Amino acid sequence: MKMDSLDPRIKRWKLQEQRQEEYSSSSLDQLPTYEVFIQLKEGKAFEHAGIVHASTADMAFLFAKEQFSRRYSCTGMWVVASEQVWVTTYSELEENIYDHIGQPAGEENDPQDDFDVFHLYKRGKQHKHVGQVKAQDTRMALLKAKASFDTGRPVLNIWLIRSINIQASTPEDQVIWSTLSEKTHRDVISYRAGDKLNKFKEKHNEG
Amino acid sequence: MYGGGNIFEVNKSDNLNQEDPVKLDEFEARIARGEKVEPSDWMPALYRKQLIRMIEQHAHSEIIGALPEGTWITRAPGFKRKMALMAKVQDEVGHAQLLYSAAETLGKSREQMMQDLINGRSKYSNIFNYPAFTWADSTIISWLVDAGAIVNQLANSKGSYGPYCRALERICAEESFHLKYGHHAVIHLATGTNIQREMVQGALNRWWPPMMHFFGPPDKISVHTEVLTKWKVKMATNDECRQQFLDMYVPKIWELNLTIPDPNLRKNSETRQWEYSEPDWDEFIRVINGDGPCNAERLSVRRTAEERGEWVRKALLTKEAKYVTPLA
Repeated sequence: MKMDSLDPRIKRWKLQEQRQEEYSSSSLDQLPTYEVFIQLKEGKAFEHAGIVHASTADMAFLFAKEQFSRRYSCTGMWVVASEQVWVTTYSELEENIYDHIGQPAGEENDPQDDFDVFHLYKRGKQHKHVGQVKAQDTRMALLKAKASFDTGRPVLNIWLIRSINIQASTPEDQVIWSTLSEKTHRDVISYRAGDKLNKFKEKHNEG
Repeated sequence: MYGGGNIFEVNKSDNLNQEDPVKLDEFEARIARGEKVEPSDWMPALYRKQLIRMIEQHAHSEIIGALPEGTWITRAPGFKRKMALMAKVQDEVGHAQLLYSAAETLGKSREQMMQDLINGRSKYSNIFNYPAFTWADSTIISWLVDAGAIVNQLANSKGSYGPYCRALERICAEESFHLKYGHHAVIHLATGTNIQREMVQGALNRWWPPMMHFFGPPDKISVHTEVLTKWKVKMATNDECRQQFLDMYVPKIWELNLTIPDPNLRKNSETRQWEYSEPDWDEFIRVINGDGPCNAERLSVRRTAEERGEWVRKALLTKEAKYVTPLA
């Protein structure tokens, strides 16, 4: 098929016409995914927002800023590689997943790592950050999370992340979140046309 | 931006006899209770397959939909319109990213989805196979095609799959700006000079037939979707979406004193349903299957972008980086 495009870029790019051979990138060059957490307001818990694809945590952070704070501002952002998140199973029928976890048996040895703990309270909602525990591995971290954060309110799923693996914004970064006030062209309030429309309707009805 | 048009094809081979009946019961009970399904939950193969298909097509529609509008950024009349259109096109590409991620949680990688798009193995919303002749076409797309997409997406956001619903909630919030912007731009043309009015009327004449195709064939001839309705994959029928769209937007078009190019369009005061001339469904099928004015161009742009960008993605890949299925 001849491409007779209305788009001036198509001619500039010298696109080839439809080709018969299949497209495949020589090896699957899929970038890894990073889980993004955002803090909507100062003092609020960080919450899972979604995923970005990137090759490093730094790049993931940049993409996440563009994707998840482009329209609605936030006060902080964390990114972590999906493979660094340790996940429990989901509980069934509103059961508390902590009810299936025992008590810590005795003291453990140093050194200890920090783990960030996230709870899911309702299917369909996002995982919320509840706090940190110190432990030497994820198994101990889970036991300690139960001791610290199990209030009896059903938790349907738990995520544990070694804090060292989280790429986090710092309080000094605050200024990077405050760009939206200049971008009123992204906001519905910039597109009020009621007056113009009413004037047109009046004129038209008279005529 | 997305319509419900071309997404559901239940094959005879998709029977549920191979599924574990106990697990299937639990799965259906969860959906009946109004709970969301999350990625690591057990789900029937057909549910997974249809969701991947639907979310993937939605994602493709976002990036392909950015093309007919993107072409007007440099030629948009004035700085404000350029800024707005640029922001809108950026949103659409961002929506694609959200949707590809949601589909990935079901086990198909973004790269694979992209390859299937380029090789014509997966579809996108048919309406983007039509060209945007004038600036007025771009405003009609921003207003009416986005309006149609919102009708469809609001319905889908009440579906059963958690990651898709979360992506749609975010998307719907952003689409409200697109709709307002599009309406603003159309009002500007329609209340302007005679030349402007002619331009926007011409665009409406071109986009009305594909807009009537947008929600897909009428329920009486579209494929059997009972099980997908029960599983809350399909949340509203094609005709329900079309009726809702007509209800909301025909009055808004008429109040601008524009003419909708269908002499049979009217609301039946007894049935409270819109009546209209049946759009040309043969054309719809023909265009979906590749023979539309822009099919070749759209795929060629995507393919070129993939090919010319491949070295960048290769350079970015680090040895230790490992792809795993994202979580939620």
